[in-house]
Amino acid sequence: MIIDVAKIAKSCKIKLPDLITRPVGRKLYATVKEKLEFAGRGETVLLDFAGVKVIDSSCIDELIVRLIQDSYARDFYIKLRNVSPISEINIDSVFSSYSNYRDRRIAVVREELGRNNKFYIGPLSETERDVIDYLRLNHRASVTDLSIFSGMEKETASSLIDGLTSIRVIKKENGDFISI
Amino acid sequence: MSGSENRSVLLPDRFRDPYTFENVISMQGDILDCGCADLSRVEFIEPYSMVSFLLMGRTFLRLKGEKLRLLNIPMHLNQYLHRMDFFTEGVFNVTQPVEHNLMLKRSVASKRLIEITGIPNKERQSVNVISSVIALFRKRAPGILKFWMDESVIDYFVTVISELCQNIFEHSLDTGYLAIQTYKSGSENIARLVISDSGIGMMQSFGSRPDVVYGSGAELIEMALTQPLSSKREFGYGLCQVNTIVERLKGTLFIRSESSSLTALYNKKDKSGKHLFHRNGLAHFDGTQISISLSA
Repeated sequence: MIIDVAKIAKSCKIKLPDLITRPVGRKLYATVKEKLEFAGRGETVLLDFAGVKVIDSSCIDELIVRLIQDSYARDFYIKLRNVSPISEINIDSVFSSYSNYRDRRIAVVREELGRNNKFYIGPLSETERDVIDYLRLNHRASVTDLSIFSGMEKETASSLIDGLTSIRVIKKENGDFISI
Repeated sequence: MSGSENRSVLLPDRFRDPYTFENVISMQGDILDCGCADLSRVEFIEPYSMVSFLLMGRTFLRLKGEKLRLLNIPMHLNQYLHRMDFFTEGVFNVTQPVEHNLMLKRSVASKRLIEITGIPNKERQSVNVISSVIALFRKRAPGILKFWMDESVIDYFVTVISELCQNIFEHSLDTGYLAIQTYKSGSENIARLVISDSGIGMMQSFGSRPDVVYGSGAELIEMALTQPLSSKREFGYGLCQVNTIVERLKGTLFIRSESSSLTALYNKKDKSGKHLFHRNGLAHFDGTQISISLSA
């Protein structure tokens, strides 16, 4: 499912190109949530931010963080597209704060390579980054494949991959792991 | 002070930056007692001092129910203050209005400033104002940020304006003001963004968070800048985000709240050098006043 955020903003009479303040985030979230009623289990929801320049931390908190939280309960995956450099910085900052203050990390994958030279935003380790990059190139891999690739013991690799699965930046399907 | 019935406080020419303006703040008691200020000595007013002086006038109006009288405003200053909509709030009684034909023209001068804009303390109204201010900023940014021109700098400023304006209605419980101007000081070009209020200051606001422990007001300001603290929520992002951006832009950040201030000089930061400066025990001034500057 592709969600065109700018189009939704226009339908909510929100002025573009900037998505700022909590009320704006709440309004967008309510509309996106309605659309997500039609998302299937395990589906990837692509949030496309084309036409959006700045998303501030309040809006990120009300929209993206809440959608990620919903994705755990409702079993869908979030992926971002066309995130501007400043929005990337803002999202990263919100996710880092969130992860520091709650005993749970949050991260999100993105379609294009960011300024951070990563295909995700959030506080992940270098090894986790390597796993995401590997899956992005190979699409599907087993724990054994990832253990060989990373040079980690199978048990360690399995635990790391489970961690990435639990924060929904990779998917588990029939025992294998696939990219979002 | 001079005279008895028509006495006034003679203000010094200390409206040049947040540090010199401390002189004027220390005279606030006299100004509020007297109800009349003489600006004949003032040659220059930059945005931070202008907005802080406006807050002082508003405090006087709230306390005494009457407008603070301003005397002997030099013509160029009077023109500038009119141009920045300083008198639009109606908190001052000005004895010498500027003739219409002497007013600074808006169409020409609009490129490098944003006039004083009230940020309401109610969420719904505030959101509309913030959205309008940002739209206006985007329109005027090529002039305001002429010496720092880069699309990303505009987006950085949009984030900063948004975060700081939201702090006004979320934390200060009072209306505040925003103003922006690029001006020349000697050979230096300065772009200054000011967002200030005279509501609840940071120390008072964090009174509801006994788990946030700090030694002095300036220390609390530093904590709020460098850690995702919030007085209302479990954690917050706003000031941290602003601090990160000002550091990236190598700008300077000045925050004053109640009787403390913090200055962050990211333009002078090097690997070993100190760049955060605390001040405590300043004359009390309600609320929080923030100035962000870039220089070129």
